[in-house]
Amino acid sequence: MRGTQKVMLAIWLIACVACSAWLYRNLSITTDLTVFLPRSATPEQQLLVNQLRDGVASRLILISLEGGADTALAGASSTLADRLRSNALFASVNNGDPDALQKERELLFANRYLLSPPISPERFSAAGLRSALRENLELLSSPAGAFIRPLLASDPTGEMRALARLMIPDGGPGKRHGLWFSRDGARALLVAQTRAAGFDVEGQRLAIESIRNAFAAIQPDGARLVLSGPGVFASQIRSTIEGEAWRLSALAAILVIAILFAAYRSAVTVAISMLPVATGLLVGITAVSLGFGDVHGITLGFGAMLIGEAVDYPSYLFTQAAFGERLDATLARIGSTLWLAVLTTVFGALAMVLSSFEGLAQLGVLTIAGATTAGLTTRWVLPALAPADFAPHRARAAPFDLSMLAIGGRSVRGARWFVILLVAAGLAVVLWRYERLWDNDLANLTPVSEATKLQDRVLRDELGAPDVRYIVVVRGEDREAALQASESAAAFLRDSVARGLLAGFDVPSRYLPSAKTQAARRAALPDAATLAGNLDAAVRGLPFREGLFAPFLDAVARVRSGPPLDADALRGSALALKIDSLLIRDGAGWAVLAPLRNVRAPQALGDAARAAGHQLLDLKAEANQLVNSYRDQSLRLIALGLLCITVVLAWGQRSAVRALRVLVPALAAVVLDVAILLLLGERLSLFNLVALLLVVGMGLNYALFFERPQADMAERARTQLSLVVCGATTLAAFGCLSLSKTPVLHAIGVTVALGSVLSLLLAAALAGRRDDSSG
Amino acid sequence: MRASAELALVVWVTALLASGSAAADFDKAALMQLLASVERASAQFVETRHSALLTAPLVSRGTLVYKRPDRLEKHVSFPFEARMVLERGQVTIDNPSRGRKMTLSIENAPGIAGLVESIRATRAGDLGALERFYKVDVGGSRGAWSLRLRPHDRELAQYVNAVTVQGAGARIERIEVVEASGDRSVMEIDEELK
Repeated sequence: MRGTQKVMLAIWLIACVACSAWLYRNLSITTDLTVFLPRSATPEQQLLVNQLRDGVASRLILISLEGGADTALAGASSTLADRLRSNALFASVNNGDPDALQKERELLFANRYLLSPPISPERFSAAGLRSALRENLELLSSPAGAFIRPLLASDPTGEMRALARLMIPDGGPGKRHGLWFSRDGARALLVAQTRAAGFDVEGQRLAIESIRNAFAAIQPDGARLVLSGPGVFASQIRSTIEGEAWRLSALAAILVIAILFAAYRSAVTVAISMLPVATGLLVGITAVSLGFGDVHGITLGFGAMLIGEAVDYPSYLFTQAAFGERLDATLARIGSTLWLAVLTTVFGALAMVLSSFEGLAQLGVLTIAGATTAGLTTRWVLPALAPADFAPHRARAAPFDLSMLAIGGRSVRGARWFVILLVAAGLAVVLWRYERLWDNDLANLTPVSEATKLQDRVLRDELGAPDVRYIVVVRGEDREAALQASESAAAFLRDSVARGLLAGFDVPSRYLPSAKTQAARRAALPDAATLAGNLDAAVRGLPFREGLFAPFLDAVARVRSGPPLDADALRGSALALKIDSLLIRDGAGWAVLAPLRNVRAPQALGDAARAAGHQLLDLKAEANQLVNSYRDQSLRLIALGLLCITVVLAWGQRSAVRALRVLVPALAAVVLDVAILLLLGERLSLFNLVALLLVVGMGLNYALFFERPQADMAERARTQLSLVVCGATTLAAFGCLSLSKTPVLHAIGVTVALGSVLSLLLAAALAGRRDDSSG
Repeated sequence: MRASAELALVVWVTALLASGSAAADFDKAALMQLLASVERASAQFVETRHSALLTAPLVSRGTLVYKRPDRLEKHVSFPFEARMVLERGQVTIDNPSRGRKMTLSIENAPGIAGLVESIRATRAGDLGALERFYKVDVGGSRGAWSLRLRPHDRELAQYVNAVTVQGAGARIERIEVVEASGDRSVMEIDEELK
């Protein structure tokens, strides 16, 4: 080991230890989607992210207990609800049990004259009261008699009935044994609201696990537990993707190691050839952590993939070493080409650093730091670590002659024409299918099955739980203005329900009317003497017991002299929870969110809302738009990156023609890759785009090595061997991924596996055969 | 021998039980079968509600019309006009003078619906529907039976203590509801069967 090598080794070791120590103390991985928001996001997109983060719909877990007798299910529902209510992970748990809503009922009852919409002066006149009392007599004679009797004396005008109609317009979910059941009685239903936000996949997982544990502890005979909701889906998706990613990565790693071992016939060499990519990842993550604070989970996944081409760097070194040659000497020969391979990757990623999406910027930093480090490690650390007796075996030839395969034995000129025609055909396919190029629906990327989605719809329908897709938004400068806006939105939505555009809605002003409305209702209440007089006149001739309505007179007097209802009065109840989730701070002002149920005509509802000055937010469309704008910006930055790469190549190769010879095969591979994907009926998403970036990086490397001046047949054979090794490892790794049933992993796998084969063939066909190129 | 003594005891007890059930020739199944044989029924009724809230009992009159298996209509004509229809699990209460109409389903409103079901399901001889809400006991004979319903549905039990239906043969003659509040409602029925 020479002196410089020792120094380099020491620097590498110190860097690795320092980065590990930093990450151990500071690494924080986030899954917060806001990182992926452009800084110039629209208010709708900001609201979308707030909804994903805090939205009540995204925090709901729908629980269904099925199988077994309804009495057993009802018992299980009660026990499960009790256990979950005492669990700090849940903000509320509802199974329809009226006893559990005692506090809320008392609050509504105490404030009925401030909350009930039909309150008006006429209602408390002698005529109004007489009409109400007659109605009570009729109700007493009806099957409803037993149920209205308990409140008759204190609520003769029926405000609690009005509130019940308002808050549970169609009677709410089905009930058996006083608890929520599906209409056929086969399932006991519960709704749990988690404290963890919907995006907090880990928090959701803990909540789901504690529901499963609580259920397992109850162990009702023959009953099954079914969970649904956004958080359940998110954590399901994560575990599916994680599980598949681990399984397929393990398979890929075994295949890659087997290929490398077949090439090097040395375990030590295989082991140290992993060092550059590992070091690159370590330094890359540290750089992102230093620069941004939090590292996003998606950055990690994509970043590891993008610098995956660094796995190839040591392959170039080891396979290019001539028989008996020291690695230093090999590096001296291929060093400049290796650097160019690293630099093209670095400059390609440079544009991403400038992105207004923090997620893309993170990806750029990770790629630049990672690829540079991997290059440096290959150049300086590998020769120092290689076994002292590292001696390449006799020049091994590739199992077949790539360039012969690619051009089918014809003249190079013929091969070029063939490739040009092929690429032209590919371009034609892309243009022909341009309308279908992009997949604009994120839903296609979820691995959630149709059966699971259907089950969610059924449960949501049974429970009357809000739609997770649509929401009406109104705003106000302060809380009072927002609540007044909420009241006008409620009036609009009531009309829309009557027109059949949707089934129902919820608004915060239902639970907390604006001060203006409360004042109007209070003003409608007569003073004690007037009310007593009106009541006397109303009761005359009717068979009600003397003094029966004293509680009513007291209640009205109490509300007249009492304080207005405010959020503090509701603190600690489910009503406060509702208000907090439906009335939120939004920038400088307040936003009111009105969750909707069963939106039947979104287009008509959106138009009507706009005309009425409200806004119908389609969370799905907003999310798609967000990801699509991310994709569009990525495209622009990639184009900019390609420009940088061209400049670097022209400088490095000292010739525009030679630069093109490297660039063209790589780009041709991308065109053909996309064309083939389209012909296979696939559509491209953001994930394919990142995969194509990797294809470009690999393609450039292949072309660079093919294009490198080769001294003799032996060197050409070595070059082919190294490219076959690189191509085979990439094909093996991403081929495994393409087997995945998860759309995201499948898309990445197919794109890269196909791209690696195409890049190799095209690089061989277009850039190879130095001896033949006369001009 | 002990074993044979035990055997004798078992035989004796079994014989006793068998003769006991033979004696009660009129049970739930027999009553339900009898009631289920009716296709249509119409009746005049007088309903009297005794309530601690009122200075005098509240009396209403009208007609009941039943069509097998799941339609029941109660039409109040005095002292006010009202109509209640139970059909396929949906209860519609219609008060034309007030322009008020209310629809409930047995699933969401087990309270009111359970009470209405006590009439419909008894009339239909539908033991399953009765047992969904009530513990069912039958007493008396074929000529003068009484059906005692005690709610086990939690929501219904909060408001209703018991429903007692009395009848003779396939005819229903009287339905009494005792509420948790202590109020009592008695419906006298003069039924014509088809």
